[in-house]
Amino acid sequence: MKRLLLPLLALSSLLPAVCVYGSSRPRYGGTVRVLLRDRIMALDPLAEEDHPATRDRLAALSFETLTEVDTQGRVQAGLAATWGSDPLKRQWRFRLRLANFHDGTVLTAADAAASLSKSNPAWKCAAPDRQTLIIDAPSAVQHMEELLASPRYAIVKRELDSAGATVLVGTGPYRLNQWQAGERAQFVVNEDYWGGRAFADAIEFQMGASLREQFLDRQLGANAAADVGIDQVRALEQTNQSVTVSSPGDLLAIMFLQGDAPSRTGRKPVDPRVREALGLSLDRAAINNVLLQRRGAPASGLLPQWLTGYEFLFPGNPNLERARDLRADAAAYVVITPIMLAYDAGDPLARLVADRIALNAREAGIVVQPYGESHVNGRARASINADAVLLRLPLQSVEPSVALAVRAEELGFGEAAPALLGATRPEDLLEVERKLLESRRVIPVAHLPQALWLNSTVHNWQQQPNGPWQLDQLWIEGAR
Amino acid sequence: MLKTALDHWAGAMLLVLLCVTAGAQQETQPLPAAAVEFVQQILSRSGLPSSLAVGFRNVSTTLPPDTQEAVQNAIFNAFRAANVNLVKPEQAQAEAQISFSEDWQGYVWIAAVKQGPASQVVIKKIPRRQRVATARTPTLTIRKIPVWQQDLQILDFYHDERNLLVLERGQISLYASDSGQWRARQTLGIPHQNPWPRDLRGRMEVHSGHIDAFLPGTRCSGTISPPALECRASDDPWPIDPALVAFFSPRRNFFTGLLAGQSAGASVAPFFSGAAWQEGDQRVWLFTGTDGRARLFQNDLNSPAATYNGWGGALAAVRSTCGSGRQILTSSPADTTRPDSLQAVEITGREAQPVSAPIDVFGTIQALWTAPNYNQVVNGVMQSQGTGKYEAFTLTVTCTQ
Repeated sequence: MKRLLLPLLALSSLLPAVCVYGSSRPRYGGTVRVLLRDRIMALDPLAEEDHPATRDRLAALSFETLTEVDTQGRVQAGLAATWGSDPLKRQWRFRLRLANFHDGTVLTAADAAASLSKSNPAWKCAAPDRQTLIIDAPSAVQHMEELLASPRYAIVKRELDSAGATVLVGTGPYRLNQWQAGERAQFVVNEDYWGGRAFADAIEFQMGASLREQFLDRQLGANAAADVGIDQVRALEQTNQSVTVSSPGDLLAIMFLQGDAPSRTGRKPVDPRVREALGLSLDRAAINNVLLQRRGAPASGLLPQWLTGYEFLFPGNPNLERARDLRADAAAYVVITPIMLAYDAGDPLARLVADRIALNAREAGIVVQPYGESHVNGRARASINADAVLLRLPLQSVEPSVALAVRAEELGFGEAAPALLGATRPEDLLEVERKLLESRRVIPVAHLPQALWLNSTVHNWQQQPNGPWQLDQLWIEGAR
Repeated sequence: MLKTALDHWAGAMLLVLLCVTAGAQQETQPLPAAAVEFVQQILSRSGLPSSLAVGFRNVSTTLPPDTQEAVQNAIFNAFRAANVNLVKPEQAQAEAQISFSEDWQGYVWIAAVKQGPASQVVIKKIPRRQRVATARTPTLTIRKIPVWQQDLQILDFYHDERNLLVLERGQISLYASDSGQWRARQTLGIPHQNPWPRDLRGRMEVHSGHIDAFLPGTRCSGTISPPALECRASDDPWPIDPALVAFFSPRRNFFTGLLAGQSAGASVAPFFSGAAWQEGDQRVWLFTGTDGRARLFQNDLNSPAATYNGWGGALAAVRSTCGSGRQILTSSPADTTRPDSLQAVEITGREAQPVSAPIDVFGTIQALWTAPNYNQVVNGVMQSQGTGKYEAFTLTVTCTQ
């Protein structure tokens, strides 16, 4: 595919340049067309979704959070204008700004309380008046501001329409105008947005789009942006296309579906020595250098080195001798059966990495049998007849405690979240992460970036270090 | 909020010398102080061992070797100051392996301390210092003098020896000079009915203590002393520079193109900024259009004499004693994902000639307005990409020696 893409990209350099100018002053108007590889089936930030990171990018246009984190990692006011907490950081009080939902109703603290109670049923949310929201958490949350900035805590008003279907209403700079699940979404500007009307009139997303097909049709120039796989980045760069690549924040990891004790019918848990041996057999550097084209980073921890600064403390180099010893030790006590490793059948990169994992494991005497599954995330895992899954988890926050707590929950370590959210020192996070890794339930493989092709006519497309887009300042040339 | 005045007339000359390298510095702890604090944390967690073996390794890709050596020495000195004997591992009561690492925001120092079977980890994070702007060799030189910095958005400002007025989103903040510092004196609210447009802009003029402020769809008038302000919904035209007045869109970020004042009744394409001046017997206008093109008009506003591409959205005219005596300061065609720069241009006939090297501002230019004092100063506002703070500054053009 890459061989074909390169000449196509060379052709694309002949695409008409709309204008060779720019300006620091944004322009109003125009429709921004974006190509997405993934197909999103629902916009609800709390819905099960195979591609939650992509869903969150779309949802953020309509559904806002109480706080926001900017591209420098600073907390900014969102729907909450001010906030504070008690000294124990368990009770948090927010003062909401004046804002309207897209249906014209005023955002009240009761709306926010209802939304957050659904996002986190463990919290007690109260609204003593129209603008004041109080959150009582069962344990301390040191970085509540950063936690509430994550997409899961978006303020969504859920209503039933006349047919009994749930309608989601937000307050954001754009409102959903057209929705074809898995195919297309169009958002139009919210003229009365509390933060001022956004610049573009509309943003359209075409899902399941192939960058290669767009080049074949010579249609790419009509689009503002396209998310691309990291295997396409080099070819794009070689033709001087504008590509932005986030820091490698997504985690590609093997997650075993059972711990030491059996918890599923049909399959026995994989012996912990074999799990450890599998981790020691992985040549993460080769996976990064070859399969990820050096765009990612070998992962030995759950959070990347660039975020914490301490990932290097977790060993990640292969040790085949030790892996073989562990495997032999286990074989003396249990029958070692092949490890069935499920991966996302729609992700070609996942298949390549799973095959490489099997190759590495074989050198340690471990048989890994990769196979593709249509759904590997969330509740779908319960019905997977595999020993382990290869997961790609987005980095939900640039605050390490929040990022690790969310990641721990996604990996089935929800019990660790209170300690992580209550941690006051980076050393505490390090220790919790170390314990999670020592369970051998999860084997980090690589940290992956998110890549984006951008048309030269697009301005202020802001990408956070962990991948999410901030599109409220977006504008395009050629508009009025 | 703690606000710090960066300039006062008394200190202006010193700041002139520093002006081009005046990037906002993030407050960071000096390395020796950070090393002392780090060592104290290590000792408090490891129970004050009498002898310690210390090893270092660098896993950071950005820590320069000389800085690493300086930090190591500072750490050694801090241990010695705490009466800890630094010895070889075989003689040590405890062993500390110190790693110099980094995350996306700064340096991370990590000490893994082993004492018998027990081990402790101490982590200290140190914000990285920001880059400072550098000047290139100019033909003419643009002097940028910081005036004020704050978290809240600055739309425009005015300052003289005694007063600093900052036009903000929804208010005007008044400061009075007090021993070389600006002290907050009063805040005058700007009530308004509708949400402000995104990319909010505003204009403020102060003449003889009288304040005139213009925001989209709103006009305010008042006085500095006593502090007072009255605002009303208004589509009155905004003063752009002493020779140009134009109508501003009440819901957008640009001038509609309809001119007022001396050019009342004439209209041009919508524009972000403009300037007008008299060149001999010729009247000249220059506008940066919302379509990305800058247009020069000479005597006749019906058709442009020249069109320029590649200009930014902000410009302002300034008088100087150099070159032709009049320059146009323009921003670069960047957006908020890239830092802006400023450059001086002279208009000769229909040609626009750059007459200074661009100066990087490490932020986004939000506003450039010609100040009323003999047109020799341009007031500018930028948002720092590093800190997110807004900075008010003045610009002048000086001759290269």
